[in-house]
Amino acid sequence: MLRGILRQLTVLAAFFLLACPGSIWAQQTALDLEGRQANPFAEHSSKVVVLVFLRRDCPVSGRYAPSIQQLSRRYADSASFWLVYPDKSDSPEAIRKSVADYRYRLPVLRDPEHTLVKLGHVQITPEVAVFDRNHRLVYDGRIDDWYIDLTRARPAPTSHELEDAIHAVLAGQSVAHNEVRGVGCYISDLE
Amino acid sequence: MLHFRSGITPRVSAYLFVGAACVLLLFAARPAPGKSSVASGADTQVTFTRDIAPIMFRSCSSCHRPGEAAPFSLLTYSDAKRHAHQIVDVTQSRIMPPWLPEPQDLKFADELRLSDAQIGLIRRWVEQGEAEGDSRDLPPAPKFVEGWQLGKPDLILTATKPLVLPPQGTDTYWNFIFRLPIQETKWVKAIEIRPGDKQYVHHANILVDRTGASRRREAEPGAGFGGMEIRIESQVFDPDSHLLFWKPGTVPSVEPDGLALRLDKGTDLILNTHLQPSGKPEIIQPSIGIYFTSHPATKFPMLLQLENDVKLDIPAGDKNFVVSDDFTLPVDVDLMAIYPHAHYLGKDIQAFATLPDGTKKTLIHIPHWNLNWQAVYRYAEPVRLPKGTTVSLRYVYDNSDENPMNPNHPPARVLSGNRSSDEMCHLWLQVLPVNFDPAQGDPRMALQEALARHNVENNPADYEAHYNLGAMLQARKDLEGAIAEYAAAVRLRPQDAIGNNALGAALLAAGHPQQGAEYLQAALRARPDYFDARYNLGFALAGQDDFSGAAEQFRQALQLQPQDANVEANLGAALAQMGQFAEAKSHFERALQIDPNQAIAKENLEALQEETGAH
Repeated sequence: MLRGILRQLTVLAAFFLLACPGSIWAQQTALDLEGRQANPFAEHSSKVVVLVFLRRDCPVSGRYAPSIQQLSRRYADSASFWLVYPDKSDSPEAIRKSVADYRYRLPVLRDPEHTLVKLGHVQITPEVAVFDRNHRLVYDGRIDDWYIDLTRARPAPTSHELEDAIHAVLAGQSVAHNEVRGVGCYISDLE
Repeated sequence: MLHFRSGITPRVSAYLFVGAACVLLLFAARPAPGKSSVASGADTQVTFTRDIAPIMFRSCSSCHRPGEAAPFSLLTYSDAKRHAHQIVDVTQSRIMPPWLPEPQDLKFADELRLSDAQIGLIRRWVEQGEAEGDSRDLPPAPKFVEGWQLGKPDLILTATKPLVLPPQGTDTYWNFIFRLPIQETKWVKAIEIRPGDKQYVHHANILVDRTGASRRREAEPGAGFGGMEIRIESQVFDPDSHLLFWKPGTVPSVEPDGLALRLDKGTDLILNTHLQPSGKPEIIQPSIGIYFTSHPATKFPMLLQLENDVKLDIPAGDKNFVVSDDFTLPVDVDLMAIYPHAHYLGKDIQAFATLPDGTKKTLIHIPHWNLNWQAVYRYAEPVRLPKGTTVSLRYVYDNSDENPMNPNHPPARVLSGNRSSDEMCHLWLQVLPVNFDPAQGDPRMALQEALARHNVENNPADYEAHYNLGAMLQARKDLEGAIAEYAAAVRLRPQDAIGNNALGAALLAAGHPQQGAEYLQAALRARPDYFDARYNLGFALAGQDDFSGAAEQFRQALQLQPQDANVEANLGAALAQMGQFAEAKSHFERALQIDPNQAIAKENLEALQEETGAH
């Protein structure tokens, strides 16, 4: 058991050094809704990790809720989805209410210091960061091409970057596009 | 032989078809632009309090505040900072504030468009680090009225049954019917639309239904009904006059004296809404507030609906499909408002006027059409368009894959139609006839006739155009012309109750009761509870001396409308003709109970008393 934990810490440390030079896991400040430090990579080490970044005041984030929930269900066996709220002014109560309103059944993280934002290279809500089984960032950006701009959405998306990335990782292939920016609300405005 | 007068005039029930429309009692009264010593030089520090707040208060805050349509507030420095980069993006791309028309000579009221200088200031403010600035520079925060914007309405109506908007799926178009609980004609100076949760309602239109026709589309009373575009039959020349439109930020304005909207007992208001799913289930229950005035209308504007849908047959992949139309005004008008409408393939939309002296004026030009931000645009000053002015529309459609809003992927052939995946080419103009001689009749009838004739020329298969032209010809006593147009309408829709009734009634009025009866019977086969056709058929049978058949039709008509004095009087007349004086008398008396001034009943009752007294 001890061996297992040590192995995981080692992998994480290596990963952080790779993705985010200078960052140290001990300074990690992602929190769960109880205020405890939380690490989306600590469990399900055999799964792909998908961090979904949301702003409560972003209607595009809201409209994606059913798709996000459906995708998480479709890949429940192979990917663990986490909702990440990067707005430090969001209280756990407000987030809990929003999660319930949108009928999410996914684990939730607060990222007030934007540790996960930096880790995932995301800039917009909603965007996702996809990490392979070795916790290497393989894709960050939009879920799909549904939205054209803030006031216009296609009748249905025609490209599906998040799903493509998950498929590629599961098939052991490289991801075609590592980064495609989303349409929505800036995370940097929250700093 | 007795000659009892039967009936007054045939119930010619000419219905006009008018489209979904609406304008404006509305639009926000916005705070005047604040005076400020704006940061001018490129190197000057731009601050929130001095430079950005005045723009935000004037152009953003009316929607970006609690309870309004926008998803977040823009009322304070920290609000602006929390969305700073987004504000730069959406102002640079002119997505916000939402204002589609290009600048033009003819100014619109309440224009929301930002100047290039304002957009530049916002960008520099963010580039320079979003400084707050001196609090003494901050203009007073805009004051907004909470709740009903014009005070408590005289009448508040709430949709009987809320709509549950599913969390996901395509946009929804839903119609709520508001039944007016008024017992007499009222004049309306303003209507405030509260569309329910404003965040999910893109826009809404009120249509005035004076016939109850929309109720037939409800599965049960109060349920409402789906559909993006609705058409309503409107009683004998009673054209729609006002565009009752709501979009985010709309504040109702009060119509000037003389321009009130008439509402009668039995009138329904139909709220046509465009709703967008939010990601979670939403309950949408709109209400409307009505403000009455004691001043009846003295000016009668009219909504002119220009369209050329027949030309809409857009090949798959066509990036530049152009539809145009030109309509020449038969009378002088003041153009008050304009409302262009296309669906998701619309790309570049413009309308212009060519005056008799050759002057060309752009009425509106929207180079990047976006259905989601469609709106009614009201001119700052009425635009005088003299008789002989040609109003032209030119709409460009993009049915290729380059149009991301294309409802078909891959692109497919698209025709005109009422579904959001069909296309439309419509332009409503709210015009007020001017410089006319009232002795020459209602100038709106000349407009309606010219428009119907124009539409018939554009599209000989346009049922409504033939119908409307027939109604106008009939109104100016050209029965022969009217019969020809109604007959054309009936050839296009042989089963149509309204067309058959109009043709039958016109034939009856022209002295051909036998021919008329055939069409009236066809109307009743299509719709057995059609009161007007029932009444007219009774009249037609009486005209052929078939009084027993006539009495039977009038009895059935009475079952449909028990309080109709004319039917009672006519039933009495038919019975009297058959010698059934006692029963006839009771019906004349009932007619006079309902309407003491019913002339036929009065006259016939006197004749009956003389006759029976003489026996």
